[in-house]
Amino acid sequence: MGKTKKLALMALLTAIALTIFVIENQIPAPVPVPGVKLGLANIITLIAIKLLGKREAGAVLLVRILMGAMFAGSPSTLLFSAAGGALAYLVMCLTLRFFGDDQLWIVSALAGLAHNAGQLAACMLVVKTPGVLAYGPVLAASGVVTGVFTGFAAQFLLKALNKAKL
Amino acid sequence: MKKKSFLWGLLLALIVAAGLLLYGKLGRGEGMVAVVSVNGEVLERIDLSKVREAYDLDVATDFGRNIVHVEPGAISVTHADCPDQICVMQGRLSSNGIPIICMPNRLVISIEGGDIDG
Repeated sequence: MGKTKKLALMALLTAIALTIFVIENQIPAPVPVPGVKLGLANIITLIAIKLLGKREAGAVLLVRILMGAMFAGSPSTLLFSAAGGALAYLVMCLTLRFFGDDQLWIVSALAGLAHNAGQLAACMLVVKTPGVLAYGPVLAASGVVTGVFTGFAAQFLLKALNKAKL
Repeated sequence: MKKKSFLWGLLLALIVAAGLLLYGKLGRGEGMVAVVSVNGEVLERIDLSKVREAYDLDVATDFGRNIVHVEPGAISVTHADCPDQICVMQGRLSSNGIPIICMPNRLVISIEGGDIDG
């Protein structure tokens, strides 16, 4: 892939991820549990790793998290989404090689788990209340469920993109 | 490949099941003392068993503003200036339960045992 095409694709994916992130933020929380989110923007992180590579996907993720906090979140939630996002990205990069293209949902589930673990760890550090660990089990469960969901979404999208010969 | 996917699916399903089963069972505070803290600093310790009349606590910090409703035996958040309103939806916390958290405002209300002046 040429440099210009790569740059354009990175910008496009960042814009898409940011749009998804901002729209998702408008959806009221489905359950009264802090930290539970669909995490739809992770679809783009996975797609970016598959289409462009790890470094490029990391850049897309970084810009999305920073600008996402500017547009939708608050500066105080930036820390949590950055901790979660970074850990999820790391797990994606480390586990992707062990799974095929039809097993992205597994990678995504593990990433979802890691995302919520990172978020909870950051929260623990900030509020210094061990009681927040009580949310660990439900966050693990929700990380897996939303991860499988976004993983399948990424899988289908990738299939379609490969057919379209992007 | 197919078998491996199945096993992973099973493992992930187990994590979900275990998570849902354990939720609400771990990390419950037992007692009557509500601890209100923001960003890791304790602002108030309230013995809920000694509250006679309900009152509101205005918690305004650099991180945001919450109205905490204190009543005999229970505590809840009735207003938050954050976008997600999760802490308000979490409802009332009484003698035991998992902490109320408002992540954007870094507010945590948890239950502890023991006396305040003990």
